[in-house]
Amino acid sequence: MTATFKTNKVQLTQDYIERLEAGQALLNDTPQNLVEVIGVLKSYGIVLDAYSVNLCYIANTQFLKLFPFFKYFNGDINPKSFVKNVWHDRINYEYAEYCMKSMFWHGSAGMDAYLDSDEFTDIVEEVVSAKFKFNPLMLGLHKVFKDFLPEHMRQMSYYSGLGQFWRVMSDMFLTLSDRYDQGEIKDIPDVVQHILDGLVADAAKPITYSVKVGQKTYDIIPESKGITFLMDTGVPYVEAIFFRGTPFPGTISYNAQAYQIPYDQGMFSYGALYADPLPIGSAGIPPTLLMQDMRHFIPDYLMDIYRQDNRGEGDLRIKICQSFQKSMFCVTTAAVKGLAPHALDTTDPEEKAANHKYLKAWLKRLFASQMVKVNG
Amino acid sequence: MAEFFLETVWIVPFYGFMGAILTLPWSLGTIRRTGPRPAAYINILMTLVAFIHGTIAFNAIWTEQTHQLGFQWLSVADLSLKLTVELSPVSLGALELVTGISLLVQLYALGYMEKDWSMARFFGLMGFFEASLSGIALSDSLLLTYGLLELLTLSTYLLVGFWYAQPLVVTAARDAFLTKRVGDIAILMGMVAISAYGADLDFSDLREWVSSHPFNSVGAALVGLSLIAGPTGKCAQFPFNLWLDEAMEGPNPAGILRNSIVVSAGGYVLIKLQPVFTLSPVSSDVLIVLGTVTVIGTSLMAIAQIDIKRALSHSTSSYMGLVFIAVGLGQVDIAFLLLFTHAIAKALLFMSAGSIILTTSNQNLTEMGGLWSRMPATTIAFIVGSAGLTSLAPLGMFWTFHRWFNGSWNVDWRLLGIVMFANVLSAINLTRLFRIIFLGKPQAKTRRAPEVPWSMAVPMVALSAFTLVAPLASINWPLWLSPNIPISPENASNVTQFATPLLILSGVLGCVIGSLINVRQAWARSSKVYVRFVQDLLAYDFYVEKLYEVTIVAAVSSLSKVTSWIDRYIVDGAVNLVSLATIFSGNALKYNVTGQSQFYLLTILLAVSVLLWSILNGQWSTVTNYWSSLIS
Amino acid sequence: MLSALILIPLVGSAVVGFYPDSKGKISRNLAFFCAIAVLLINLYIGWNFDTENTGFQFAEYIPWVEWLGLDYNLGIDGLSFPLVCLNSLLTLIAIFVTDKNISRPRFYYSMLLLLSAGAVGAFLAKDLLLFFLFYELEIIPLYFLIAIWGGKRRGYAAMKFLLYTAFSGILVLASFLGLAWLSGANSFAYETLKLHDLSLTSQLLLLAPLIVGVFIKIPIFPFHTWLPDAHVEAPTPISVLLAGVLLKLGTYALLRFGLGLYLHAWVEVAPWMAILAGISALYGASCAIAQKDMKKVVAYSSIAHMAYILLGASATTRLSVTACVFQMVSHGLISALLFLLVGVVYKKTGTRDVDSLRGLLNPEKGLPVTGGLMILGVMASSGLPGMVGFISEFLIFRGAFPIFPIPTLLCLVGTGLTAVYFLLVINKVFFGRLTDNLDSLPSVKWVEHVPAFALLFLIIAFGLQPNWVIDLSEVQAIALLTGG
Repeated sequence: MTATFKTNKVQLTQDYIERLEAGQALLNDTPQNLVEVIGVLKSYGIVLDAYSVNLCYIANTQFLKLFPFFKYFNGDINPKSFVKNVWHDRINYEYAEYCMKSMFWHGSAGMDAYLDSDEFTDIVEEVVSAKFKFNPLMLGLHKVFKDFLPEHMRQMSYYSGLGQFWRVMSDMFLTLSDRYDQGEIKDIPDVVQHILDGLVADAAKPITYSVKVGQKTYDIIPESKGITFLMDTGVPYVEAIFFRGTPFPGTISYNAQAYQIPYDQGMFSYGALYADPLPIGSAGIPPTLLMQDMRHFIPDYLMDIYRQDNRGEGDLRIKICQSFQKSMFCVTTAAVKGLAPHALDTTDPEEKAANHKYLKAWLKRLFASQMVKVNG
Repeated sequence: MAEFFLETVWIVPFYGFMGAILTLPWSLGTIRRTGPRPAAYINILMTLVAFIHGTIAFNAIWTEQTHQLGFQWLSVADLSLKLTVELSPVSLGALELVTGISLLVQLYALGYMEKDWSMARFFGLMGFFEASLSGIALSDSLLLTYGLLELLTLSTYLLVGFWYAQPLVVTAARDAFLTKRVGDIAILMGMVAISAYGADLDFSDLREWVSSHPFNSVGAALVGLSLIAGPTGKCAQFPFNLWLDEAMEGPNPAGILRNSIVVSAGGYVLIKLQPVFTLSPVSSDVLIVLGTVTVIGTSLMAIAQIDIKRALSHSTSSYMGLVFIAVGLGQVDIAFLLLFTHAIAKALLFMSAGSIILTTSNQNLTEMGGLWSRMPATTIAFIVGSAGLTSLAPLGMFWTFHRWFNGSWNVDWRLLGIVMFANVLSAINLTRLFRIIFLGKPQAKTRRAPEVPWSMAVPMVALSAFTLVAPLASINWPLWLSPNIPISPENASNVTQFATPLLILSGVLGCVIGSLINVRQAWARSSKVYVRFVQDLLAYDFYVEKLYEVTIVAAVSSLSKVTSWIDRYIVDGAVNLVSLATIFSGNALKYNVTGQSQFYLLTILLAVSVLLWSILNGQWSTVTNYWSSLIS
Repeated sequence: MLSALILIPLVGSAVVGFYPDSKGKISRNLAFFCAIAVLLINLYIGWNFDTENTGFQFAEYIPWVEWLGLDYNLGIDGLSFPLVCLNSLLTLIAIFVTDKNISRPRFYYSMLLLLSAGAVGAFLAKDLLLFFLFYELEIIPLYFLIAIWGGKRRGYAAMKFLLYTAFSGILVLASFLGLAWLSGANSFAYETLKLHDLSLTSQLLLLAPLIVGVFIKIPIFPFHTWLPDAHVEAPTPISVLLAGVLLKLGTYALLRFGLGLYLHAWVEVAPWMAILAGISALYGASCAIAQKDMKKVVAYSSIAHMAYILLGASATTRLSVTACVFQMVSHGLISALLFLLVGVVYKKTGTRDVDSLRGLLNPEKGLPVTGGLMILGVMASSGLPGMVGFISEFLIFRGAFPIFPIPTLLCLVGTGLTAVYFLLVINKVFFGRLTDNLDSLPSVKWVEHVPAFALLFLIIAFGLQPNWVIDLSEVQAIALLTGG
């Protein structure tokens, strides 16, 4: 944005479109922003790695378990890890599950089409009867509440799907950090380009999910269903987590008569791009968990910057959240670029017009987010 | 050994306090790098210990006489204050209920609050909550109970205010505290009064004191009313019922406790205070009137709510209204049974509601549907809870009502009418809720609804099972509380003869109406103005809140503004004017120059000295005379 | 021993005042040293204190201005000892919370010690004139402390304080002189004057100026208007001392001299005083509701809570009078705590306006621990059982109810209103979302909360074990009523 603050929405839209067409990102390209984005993405990459490992572990081993007591142990059950868990000295996998649940709740069109099909129900039926062969109680329960276990397996599919999506993202962010350390990343557009390249490279990567009961392997989501990385996990993820989210009980009233939460989930704007960073750390704000996880892995160069502030490490989680939002605008830029009907720097007037229409739709939603504030 | 646990049962409340204190390192932010879950584990462990201790004591009490453990707390001048604890099947049973439900709720909260980083504070408050409640269960002293009720008020305030950054929470917490506080102050007044007139504040001695009380009829009525005010606030009775609705802004696990055992604490105190209400017919009449008004009003409100928690919480007030009526009639055993059965069933319903809210991120009933086949534990909990709450299936409430009308109590048609009314509306409400939530086609927000994790499902299943066996308590209840075994009145035979069938009929009627009304549209906006009016009237609690705003709130706030104005312009001005100082310092107050003030300081010291001197001058002769007389 | 309590701060004050020290570090340490020494002596006295003794203990007597009948006559009893302890504790806290970079440190600490010496002297004085001297002495440092280190309108507030309290002093003095004159005593010794046999009319004539004088000091409606101004302008440590100790000089004089010397007349005017207490309690509460300045809310609350002491004193039952002493301690601790915390908020945010503060409970950028302490402090003030405010007020109400039921009920309503005005403040200031202009507040260090935690500890300890205070004063409080 230019130095003068413009309130005029039309003008603002025009500005942002010009920026994007000029190869800039939604986030201002400043050295400070670059350090924050890279630093925070590095720690985010580490955290996502842990989340991804755990989500896949749960999907692959904890399915159809009524009492998954040790689901956060990743199979590593010994006195030492037990004590660490009890002392809550661990990554907050609850947040990964929270993201998974909101994605599940908001839905991914591609995955849902398959998960609601009879094909899926049939395979689940097989798994259930194999798993509970000697458990008439569960089979009885399954008879009465016939959607209980299928719904559980749908959720497990999302566990797996999000786990696989985050696997790619984690690696991508960690290479970004490595490239930055090697001096290859110089500004924000480089960051966007790195992410865009990563997304494009893996766009068609298949998302599959199979479980093992006894000796037999069941393909819950076979490769043949054509569930792919970008369109069936990436885009729904951005929609569900970046944009929609779920209302935080710490700031929004769930009271039906207060009508604070819209009826239409499409109108939700509680996602990562919209969230107000100031209440982070307060009660009823789930992203606190993510910020808490990231605080352990913030690289020293960024930590030094944070420490210079008057509260030092006292309000670390809010500062991380602010940097995190900046980095998410870079990821959003990459997504916007990647999904655009035509290359953004096109000179063809027709293509340009199509791009404008597309960008305006995005920007309309983004103006309600923290974007203008972050850049202001 | 059991004897030891029995005699030390007064320690049980301290477990909760200890748990609360041990959470401080996390809730104060001293431990920042690791998470708050240890605080939760500590509290659950403490509650478990409390529960086990209570259970051993409860098993031991059956072979023992009811007795008191006294502790001389304070003795000053002619006043001696004792803190007494009663060991009886009733008090220990209440203790069991408190610690048991608290244990289940804390386990439930472990799942419900898992993504809340302020979990430590939450569990600390739950520990505090539980401690106060178990103290009330055991207490045999009005003073101790008053203190614990106040702690309960505080912890309600803090729990409702748990999500303090949410705007509606801010007012909800404040209103909850102030409403309860009004009642507490009234109790304090009553307590000061009866203590000043010779009562020693032990519940068990109240009956004796009442027989020789020194009040005239007005005094007796006033004392009774002041002691009623407290439970009226706690039990969310009209006109203090709104806080419970607002308090639904708080986290659901706290809501479970609040709607089951916290409101019951108010009823429990009412039962303990019952002898005082025999002082004057006014107090028992007021109890019955308040109860009746609340039963009718809140039952109607409940069926117009579109918020799942509020639809259930208004019904809480309604059942507490029945408790008020029972106490007003002096039928305390029934009141106790009502509390007991309601607490369990309502806790179960609220657990079910909480799991729905967590799964669907939604409390709005109009956006729900089709959950039953996917959420077995939640569905079962809701069905069992509903069955326990209405007099239809042979569960808790049926047996309690049956017991009420089986001929041993003095009941009449009006009472039966009220109970049937409550039962019909409760059945309508629960049937309506069941249909909206669990039946029909899933809507957008209930499209994806996996069952909640085990830490929430286990408490629901456990409590469901308990609700199924709880009727044994109603059936075998041996009338501990009533001073003398009630005798069957002769003229009430008609009522008792038809009561049970009529009650079942009312339940059936409620279910039928509940299944026939068009739930999707009936509570959406109607085009008819009068329907809309009634709907809004009920949904917005008869606009009682507005009534408060234009009456008491407006009065206090304008009075305070007027007083403040008077203070600033009249009192201050007048006193400034009158004060001798101003007269001789002239317009000194207009100047703020320090140098000048110092001058006045000197002036004043000088004036004082001169004054001193001149007065002493007159004494010169006395002083000299005295000394000369000494010398000579 | 008792002289040391006065001399240490007095000498300290002189030393600090004249010892060259531009940075203020030495002054601060010296002041600390004096305050700690005084506190230790208090502990020693407490250790050797005889709770059964109805008279004065540790008495010291030196004839001074003999022709005037003014003697250096000190003693301590159950009425004064708790207040002396309170004074030494709060002095220490006041020094502790004083800003290290305060301007003109030598003068400041010197005045602070002088203030403390004045207050302790007044509590210990067994001679009426000596009491008056100390009562006046304490005005001067307080005047300077407000006038130099106060807020924007400090000149006005200090002046008002000075005029009011000086006038109060004159009235008290008039009563004392009149008593000496009318009773024909040749000294101002308390124990001598206590034995007077004046007629009821003369007693009433002497009691009237005394009552008005101390009503200004306590303060009781309608003589209270200096207090909110003084509190608002005074720096935090001075507010702590003013509310915690100096107001207690008024109630102390009320009990010691009003009730102690003129029992017969006292009983005559008691019904009126009780009504005034009820009015004052409600009036203070009502004004507090409308205030926007946090400190003013606490100040008006102080007026309301001090009125309970008047109620207890007018009821003259053994219970109510004993409870009065307890309530003084209780109010001293609670109001000191509240002023401390408001001070912390003010120091960090630069404002006390409830409309511009919001969401301070925010754990990252707000003042969460201050908020938590504030909630507890407010609960203590509104009489939450388990804290000292409840039991002290309960005992007063319980003691006064049989004599004056209606005023007692009015005061009880006042207690109820306490929750109203404080909760309004708490919910506005600490709840809600932190406003954007408060997002770079400096953090509060743990050490800054040490005094608040110490006070809170005492508030809870005495709330659970009220006997620890009551046993000290019960015998002497009752002795006031029997003329023993």
